Amino acid sequence: MKKATVVLGLGNPLMADEGIGVHLIERLTEVAQRCPDVDFVDAGTGGMSVLHLIEGRRKAVFIDCAFMDEAAGTLRRFTPDEVRSRKVLAHQSLHEADLLKILVLAEQLGQCPEEVVIFGIQPEAVEMRQGLSASLSEQTEAYLAQILAELGV
Amino acid sequence: MANTVNVNVHHVTRIEGHGNIVVNATDGKIEKVEWQVPEAPRFFEAMVRGRSYEDIQTIVSRICGICSITHSLASTKAVENAMGIEVSEQADMVRILMHYSEQLQSHVLHVGYLVSPDLFGLPSVVPLAAKAPEVVLAVIRLHRLANEWSDLIAGRTTHPVTLTPGGLTKFPTEKELRNLQERLKGCVGDLTAVAEAVLSVAGNIPDFTRETEYVSLKQDHPPTYTFYHGDITSTDYDGTVAINDWQTVANEYVSDQSTAKWTKWNRPSYTVGALARFNNNGQLLSPMAKDVAKTFGLEMGCCNPFMNNVAQLVEAVHVVETSIAMIDELLTKGIKPEKVKVTPKAGKASGCVEAPRGILFHEYEFDSKGNCVGADICIPTNQNHAAIQEDFEKFVPEILDEGEDAIRLKMEMLVRSYDPCVSCSTHMLDVQFTK
Repeated sequence: MKKATVVLGLGNPLMADEGIGVHLIERLTEVAQRCPDVDFVDAGTGGMSVLHLIEGRRKAVFIDCAFMDEAAGTLRRFTPDEVRSRKVLAHQSLHEADLLKILVLAEQLGQCPEEVVIFGIQPEAVEMRQGLSASLSEQTEAYLAQILAELGV
Repeated sequence: MANTVNVNVHHVTRIEGHGNIVVNATDGKIEKVEWQVPEAPRFFEAMVRGRSYEDIQTIVSRICGICSITHSLASTKAVENAMGIEVSEQADMVRILMHYSEQLQSHVLHVGYLVSPDLFGLPSVVPLAAKAPEVVLAVIRLHRLANEWSDLIAGRTTHPVTLTPGGLTKFPTEKELRNLQERLKGCVGDLTAVAEAVLSVAGNIPDFTRETEYVSLKQDHPPTYTFYHGDITSTDYDGTVAINDWQTVANEYVSDQSTAKWTKWNRPSYTVGALARFNNNGQLLSPMAKDVAKTFGLEMGCCNPFMNNVAQLVEAVHVVETSIAMIDELLTKGIKPEKVKVTPKAGKASGCVEAPRGILFHEYEFDSKGNCVGADICIPTNQNHAAIQEDFEKFVPEILDEGEDAIRLKMEMLVRSYDPCVSCSTHMLDVQFTK
């Protein structure tokens, strides 16, 4: 049975701050017992698979690395209708993905949760290495507190 | 001016890679036709150096969000080959089932979300969902089933967690397998619906042929339409090459127009992927898959790269039909508990499987403690770059009088037909606040 709320961590931990969503999901999974109605999922870079992970839920919360013209490490909470995507997809490959476009498709198919929240975190560096930059790792506890507050914890 | 064409498809993004398409022609004289791959190289090989053999799969599964099972299997097989680790028949069969789930996942997504809009004359899957919702819903149901299938056997939809050198850490129960089998039997209607929808617009598949060398795995014992076992063969090569000798097939080299390495074997280029597997092994497909191929007029020896997407549909049917039979076999034998014990030792070897988009090679060397001292990965998309360039050179003169828009679209369709992996390692958002 799917739980009413799903929290999805997106990104790649091999690409420095791009993996922030996955790092935070690992930490949230450790406290999952405090949120009995919430599934925590490491969705990695599965792209379109997001569609299936949110289907049938009341609420979906995404945690992802996001370029937002903010200082590195800044976390912003927003909903899809508060932003415009600047990503240009080449449509050459399955491997490219734009979360906001996936949400449009989910909406069109009537499979989008009634509430969608995105926590975007501005990266300091997106490059090939494991581990987060200091400006993000220093704020991990603050990020977790904000996300847990969203979940009513 | 007649036949003066300037096509420049450049995709400038922050990190994610794309291929660029460039065509310049003046008065019908072609000056430049190029497939450029400016993607920043991803040195995953460097990341695994110094890491334990037990960690390799977890790291390489993150190379790609679409082929994460394939990378995991190739690396695990390489570790097993390097250390002489045996795998039970049961674990082997369950791994193949896991691998099939990814083939279905990737193929239905590619044909349904990326190729079908082209054939229906639409820019993307979003307007297709409005025009032909039943087709898109069938694709989504198939993709969902494939994801849940991966979830059951790999422990997660993407980036598997049940694989380990020597076997698997967790097996599905007999009840779970029976349930999966029922669902696979139930998805045949959706597969047929998608195949019929594509067939209804198959007249829009460009009629283009270029004599091509096709490279894939080949398994003789027992003869199998293989994605997992076997050695390397090609349509130009009578016999097989051992997996550990894959460098003599790939012959990687650097091209001025690309940061990715290119490959060649018996010709200046070769092609890998569903059509390559079909051309080398098509006689071994399951009965229903053969029927689908026949409906589309797809025959072994086909050298139309656009037909790769038909071959993907054929393979989607094949993996479902074959999995139904494999589950019967597993249930007859019964799932038995297994414990894996591995003693690391020094060694160097390769592992190879077929990714949905073509043959994939991983090679590793380990010291006596099982720590990685060297790695080399050769992905299918890089093996197709030279073929895409050669296709461009033959295709553009044939369509030069169709106008820039049609040329651009057909060249993009050609690239898509290869189902390339050019941007899979990152998926971040890039947004501007409007409220």
